Amino acid sequence: MSQPASADPPPDPTTSPRAAAASALAEVVGQERPAQRRGAALQAVAALLWVPQAVLIAITLAALVEGTALPLGLAALAGFYLALAGLRIGLDAWGKRIVHLAADRVRARLRGRLVDALARWSPMDAGAPHSGAVAALAVDRVDHIEPYLTRYEPARLKVAVVPLALWCVVVPLSWAGALILLVAGPLIPVFMALIGMKARQASQRQLAEIASMTGYLLDRIRGLVDIRLLGGVGGATSALAGAADRVRRETMAVLRIAFLSTAVLELFAALGVAMVAVHVGFELLGLTDFGTWGAPLSLAQGLLVLMLAPDFFQPLRDFGAAYHDRADAEAVALEAASLLGRHHASILGSGAGDVPSEAAPAVRLAGVGFAYGAGRPVLEGVDLEIRPGSRVAITGHSGAGKSTVLGLIAGFLGPDAGHIEAAGRPLDAASADAWRARIAWIGQRPHFVAGSLRANLGLYGAAAEGAELARALTVANAAEVVDAAPRGLATAIGETGHGVSGGEARRLALARAALAPGRDVVLADEPTAELDPETAAVVADGLLDLADGRTLVVATHDEALAARMDIRLAVIGGRLVAAEAVP
Amino acid sequence: MSRRSAGLWTVLAVFRRHHGRVLTLGVGLTAATLAAGAMLLGLSGWFLTAAAAAGLVGAGLAFDVFGPAAAIRFLALVRTGARYGERLTNHDATLRVLASLRLSVFRALAARPLPALAALRRGVALNRLTADIDALDGLHLRLVLPVAAGALVLALAAGLLAWLVAPVMALVVGVLVVGGGLSILMAGRPGAGASRRRGLAQDALRVRLLDLARGRADLTVAGRLPAQTGACGKASDRALAAGRRLNVLDLRSEAVLSATVQVAVVVALVLGVWLAQAGTISGPVAAIGVFAAIALGEVLAPLRRGALEIGRILLAVRRIAPALAEPLAEPLAEPPPAAPADPGEPQAGPLLALSGIGFAYGGGRPVLAGVSLTLRPGDTVALVGRSGGGKTTLLWLAAGLLRPDAGTIHLCGRPLADWPEADLRARIGLLPQRSELFAGTIADNLRVGAPDAPDALLYEALAVVGLDGTVAAAGGLAARLGEGGAGLSGGEARRLALARLIVRRPPVLLLDEPTSGLDVDTATQVMARLRGLLPQAAILVATHRAGDLGNTAGVNRFRLSSPPAPTTDLRQISID
Repeated sequence: MSQPASADPPPDPTTSPRAAAASALAEVVGQERPAQRRGAALQAVAALLWVPQAVLIAITLAALVEGTALPLGLAALAGFYLALAGLRIGLDAWGKRIVHLAADRVRARLRGRLVDALARWSPMDAGAPHSGAVAALAVDRVDHIEPYLTRYEPARLKVAVVPLALWCVVVPLSWAGALILLVAGPLIPVFMALIGMKARQASQRQLAEIASMTGYLLDRIRGLVDIRLLGGVGGATSALAGAADRVRRETMAVLRIAFLSTAVLELFAALGVAMVAVHVGFELLGLTDFGTWGAPLSLAQGLLVLMLAPDFFQPLRDFGAAYHDRADAEAVALEAASLLGRHHASILGSGAGDVPSEAAPAVRLAGVGFAYGAGRPVLEGVDLEIRPGSRVAITGHSGAGKSTVLGLIAGFLGPDAGHIEAAGRPLDAASADAWRARIAWIGQRPHFVAGSLRANLGLYGAAAEGAELARALTVANAAEVVDAAPRGLATAIGETGHGVSGGEARRLALARAALAPGRDVVLADEPTAELDPETAAVVADGLLDLADGRTLVVATHDEALAARMDIRLAVIGGRLVAAEAVP
Repeated sequence: MSRRSAGLWTVLAVFRRHHGRVLTLGVGLTAATLAAGAMLLGLSGWFLTAAAAAGLVGAGLAFDVFGPAAAIRFLALVRTGARYGERLTNHDATLRVLASLRLSVFRALAARPLPALAALRRGVALNRLTADIDALDGLHLRLVLPVAAGALVLALAAGLLAWLVAPVMALVVGVLVVGGGLSILMAGRPGAGASRRRGLAQDALRVRLLDLARGRADLTVAGRLPAQTGACGKASDRALAAGRRLNVLDLRSEAVLSATVQVAVVVALVLGVWLAQAGTISGPVAAIGVFAAIALGEVLAPLRRGALEIGRILLAVRRIAPALAEPLAEPLAEPPPAAPADPGEPQAGPLLALSGIGFAYGGGRPVLAGVSLTLRPGDTVALVGRSGGGKTTLLWLAAGLLRPDAGTIHLCGRPLADWPEADLRARIGLLPQRSELFAGTIADNLRVGAPDAPDALLYEALAVVGLDGTVAAAGGLAARLGEGGAGLSGGEARRLALARLIVRRPPVLLLDEPTSGLDVDTATQVMARLRGLLPQAAILVATHRAGDLGNTAGVNRFRLSSPPAPTTDLRQISID
């Protein structure tokens, strides 16, 4: 039985990659292993129920040919046969259902872990995985674990149990028939091992080719506007056709080898059945007298051997077909393990809403040091005191650590050294949520979640309507942004909706902050970066209007904006100094 | 049903027109594989029982063993050979069909109006398109092939059983046909609903995850982080629940198919016993029916996946078929070599004349009102003003990507709408604010709009934008770019897109922020070299850094106000 997930050692880079992949997969499957084995066992039992069914058919047909009386009435025989069939179908479906539900739980849990890890990943940590890659892993690739659990594992159990059991039924009837199976059968897994690897590589290459084909197509569709504007549709179409044809020819050349190999396997299975049939026929004719244990083979026994032969080979073929499922699942498990195991900076607290802290919003950093992971320290011995209601600019070169200071104040990061106090309390996991409940964040690239403009403006919990909204839009100079949106406040924005430009996004973020008067600390990260001077001035005006009566901290390299603050500080060489001291 | 099947016929017609022979061959070989398998078991069963019957009466030596034995071995070989041929043919056919489907969809998309194309960039529409094409992949392999080959084999089996055994034995095939049809009917419609729900839930999960990944800072401050992870969990649960429903349908259709085979076996057995007891047929012949029923189960098995996917496939067919069927919406002839207005010769009239243009998006607030502008050969006009002021809109109108609500636009004295697309594109080159580069070599990218351009022309364009050194260092024109032009910095990508346009040498150049991402010196040099290369081109530039145009003589700067003034006649409001 499998170990609980926590007992598994983390993948050790020094062990072989195969072992690492296997242990990553075992960790993902975790406590579902028993359920998954139960389901596979039921399927194996269902497969074995074919034996009594075949016995019934053999007895009936033999009686018919030999002219003896049927052992049971025809109705009873048919009823018994159908009852066995029902049981077989039912057990098989039950087993498959169990395995599917187990695979569901495995996927749900892995997705949950990925989502949680992503949520706690500090927004300031540039080492965070690319959002598109996480989405692809958690949404689509996680599903690749399912075939491994629902196909590969049951096939593996069946291949270990069913052929052996059927062979044991055949041996006492006809050792020659059993011998034929014994010779033909194990050859299949041997060939699978030899050729399967090659076929798998071939099919992987083929898949990669087709994937790159899809990428090529998507690339061109994304750029269709440009292609049209350049009059290049004809050229792109023939290039696409040429590429597709090339991929097809190369793929077929590889597949031909793979198919030839599997054809040889099929031939073994088919010839195995045919040889059993011919041998049994000769035996029944009395033309040979070897192959049985003394007494000649009866027709019923001969028919039984014939009917069991195909089912002897079937699990072997199923296992061959499911062989690559494991490698797919291992690849996903490894990818997930590397993401979950990666060191990263985490936010303080849970990111849940809380009752805002009460005391005046003073912020104090004392001797704060910070480094991302094992990297060079970004900040060292930073002391900073922000009095309630003051307006502070933090300047410095890009990468100097301006945003890191802001992230520390927002509790997006915990300091490595020193301590931070916010509103009179140490800023830690216990107090971070209450402190953040009074922060308005104006990011460098404000993100709007999929939803209406109104819902996004109300992200801080205030209803975006009426006089409050009008006032907020005026403060942020954002009224015209709303007016220009196709459906006003009801316009869907975000990932799936109407796009907004950089300047518009920042004005909307200001309006969002203005709607929440309780958030009396405004933290703005490069609010004017990448904007043209006029738009930058509009955003700066909005920011200062917004900050009226609130505490404002701005990280910026915009001199014009910094000049409008009460206090100017600069991050130089990991230390925070008064900007006047900058040479 | 008829509307749906009409779409299906359209798609199938595309398949047949392009690859009729190879598809027919694939169906034939599949049928041969299945038939050989069924006959192998049927013949073996008969052989055994007949041999036993002969052995019983002591006629063993007189029984012809070699004919049936050879036939059995022959069928085993045929089955293997046909299987090999079937796999080769059907994979080849699928790859061909896939390629031509993608090509047809690409052509159909390329013919859409440009504003609709611009909207396609957004991920979800693109995802849906890929998913639809992927779903159509199954049309041949999992629907047409099993149904067509299965029908062939079952018809053959019915004929053989009626002839060899007894007409009533064809009933066995009847049972299989009814069961197979039933499983498709049972799974088809609910399967389509469930896979649609799963697709929607997965889309929702993807969007919520992206929001979580990109909006963590805002969500954390807003105290919405647990709510967002919860929403992700809910979407995942919905997707898994739909998957469980699909699994139930799958198991049900598998159970129906297995039960069908079992019932067929029992029917064959009971009929065989009756007929043999009545003396109509011999015992060995009765066995043929039973073994054929067992073997024909293999014909039904492939229907299972097709049954589950039929709804999804038909949905994809319905969405894609119109694109395949419709005649192209706009003429797509490539730019003819025929005389584009020669920029070398000064012309009497203006190249481009906009007069009294008014425009509003979707009936909203007007973005432009009463704008007039004239461009003559050699003119450089800069549109300045802050973002959102309508600069881009004006360029799109001038390029014919949008139609003005009021006013007229003339190119070389002819209304813009009267120009065939290819001629229009040959004369007006627009560099949009965001342009896409492609995976492939630098030369591939530069030749998108000029497939026959010689290398010298490409180098010349690269020199104008100041990328010649960068490209030479990266390995020349054959240097490869990743998807979307990955491998270049933002400023380099911008300049390569401009070079791509310069290679075509249009007499009118509309450039939207051509120098964004460049430092002032580089930007000024690029614009000066561009003017040097194309002295007679009319250039209209939208920029918020008008200084980049340098002190080039004859640059006029115009300011678009926002909200628009009642009348903005750019011919009059020259700032310089």
